[in-house]
Amino acid sequence: MNNIALGRYIPMNSLANRMDPRAKIAILFFLMIAIFIPAGFWGYIPIVLFILLSLYVSKLKLSFALRPLKPMLWMMLFLLIVNVLVMRTGTLLIDWGWFKVYSDALSQTAYIVIRLTLMIILTTILTATTKPLDLTLGIEKLLKPFEKIGLPAHVIAMMISIALRFIPTLIEETNRIMNAQASRGIDMQNGTFKEKIRAILSLIVPLFVSAFDRADQLANAMEARGYDPSRERTRYKVLKMHSIDYVGMGLALAVLVIDIILWRVGL
Amino acid sequence: MPIKINDLEYTYAQGTPFEHKALKGINLEIPEGKVTAIIGQTGSGKSTLVQHLNGLLKPTKGSVEIAGFTLTPDTKLKDAKKLRQKVGLVFQFPEYQLFEETVGKDIAFGPKNFGVSEEETEKRIRDVLPLVGLDESYLERSPFELSGGQKRRVAIAGILVQDPDVLVLDEPAAGLDPQSATEMMTLFMNLNKQAGKTILLVSHDMEHVLKYCDEVVVLSDGQVKTQMPVHEFFKHPDILREIDINPPGIVVLKEKLKENGFEIDENSYSIAEIAKQVEGQVSKHE
Repeated sequence: MNNIALGRYIPMNSLANRMDPRAKIAILFFLMIAIFIPAGFWGYIPIVLFILLSLYVSKLKLSFALRPLKPMLWMMLFLLIVNVLVMRTGTLLIDWGWFKVYSDALSQTAYIVIRLTLMIILTTILTATTKPLDLTLGIEKLLKPFEKIGLPAHVIAMMISIALRFIPTLIEETNRIMNAQASRGIDMQNGTFKEKIRAILSLIVPLFVSAFDRADQLANAMEARGYDPSRERTRYKVLKMHSIDYVGMGLALAVLVIDIILWRVGL
Repeated sequence: MPIKINDLEYTYAQGTPFEHKALKGINLEIPEGKVTAIIGQTGSGKSTLVQHLNGLLKPTKGSVEIAGFTLTPDTKLKDAKKLRQKVGLVFQFPEYQLFEETVGKDIAFGPKNFGVSEEETEKRIRDVLPLVGLDESYLERSPFELSGGQKRRVAIAGILVQDPDVLVLDEPAAGLDPQSATEMMTLFMNLNKQAGKTILLVSHDMEHVLKYCDEVVVLSDGQVKTQMPVHEFFKHPDILREIDINPPGIVVLKEKLKENGFEIDENSYSIAEIAKQVEGQVSKHE
């Protein structure tokens, strides 16, 4: 429970940590589009270069950014098997009678794996270098223009920050209840199917009860302090773009443009 | 058999950037059949230590001998189930572990997991209910409609019904009104005096420690700072101040009297005794 790397903020004094969250979200947005542009394998090279650069300015290790991929290895393997069995296009690579492997099966799987890997590395870098509250503030500011068409940007941002705020609390709570039930003889790992259902129930019910309790208390505490989502709020910390933010966004945009050119024009 | 802890070390999240050494070589012998207090600041390693006592955690280094079991870094936690029956752990705010539809079912949850027969469980529940100050009319009620204090009694009954030899209590009286807190502590003391259960009490309440415990273990930064019989311990209130805990009122009173020139017997911890000594010295003075 304590070694979840995905979405965890790492307090470090790096250039990437100091960047404006809006700029970082914009960069992620540009690169996400670039990842999905079908520019062929060459199209991933600028993205990979950008990732290496951002790992450098965020002082993170590549192994750290790759760790969230570990639980997905099985899914990727499953994907490969399904693709090999289903895809019947491209050149025939292996032909063992009933068992045939076509080149498209491999390249399609490679595309998906590369896209997933790149996306996860990018989001891990974003969340590792940006405090959750800064991240939601960034989202709120970026969604602000859409308030004119009725999008409740502030409410969305507040909901996200409350949800993020409670993740560690809920993890702690889960650990505590698991320990308490283990002390009453529950074994979360072993046992028959029926026993496992009971074990899960003994965790879920108390977890829900306390989550609702907390929600209730928080709502009361917010109201007691005069919270009103429809009112304009001022901030203690005001976001300000610096030259590094523009440089970062410019580079990400350049990557996107290169990929578009590769896609439309080819090499 | 006393509980023996030898050179116990525990490291959280070993091999990650979040690595944290919570216990740094604990050596302790906790006497059987006594009430031992474990005190220390937040983060001193109390909870980590407590979780070793029933095999929720296993040592990174060193060993724990308890209730006929020995936990070492090589122990498989799968085998700890029997240990968990022998060592009852009551967590802080245990009311949050309730989940069954009725109080009766919830209390029976532990024994059922440990494979106790239904008749035996029934019998034990009837024995345990009066101990925690509840009666059989509660058995069919939903735990979620009870008050906070009643819920806690149900949760504690759920541990007592396992009939453990050792009871480990993490702040059992936290958040209760003074009267319920006293009732709760009296209940545990009866279990100790009458049923001979070994009790470990994690507490911040020095009044409770002075009143109910026989021994005191002070943890600080993952190490044992001191272990003493309780009356010996409260002769040195400075140890408490070093870890930012206020001594009990009676100890402060003794200090103040001494500052003002009274001679107070170090072994007196009751108001009546101290009053008598003060009275004697005042009348002599007159």
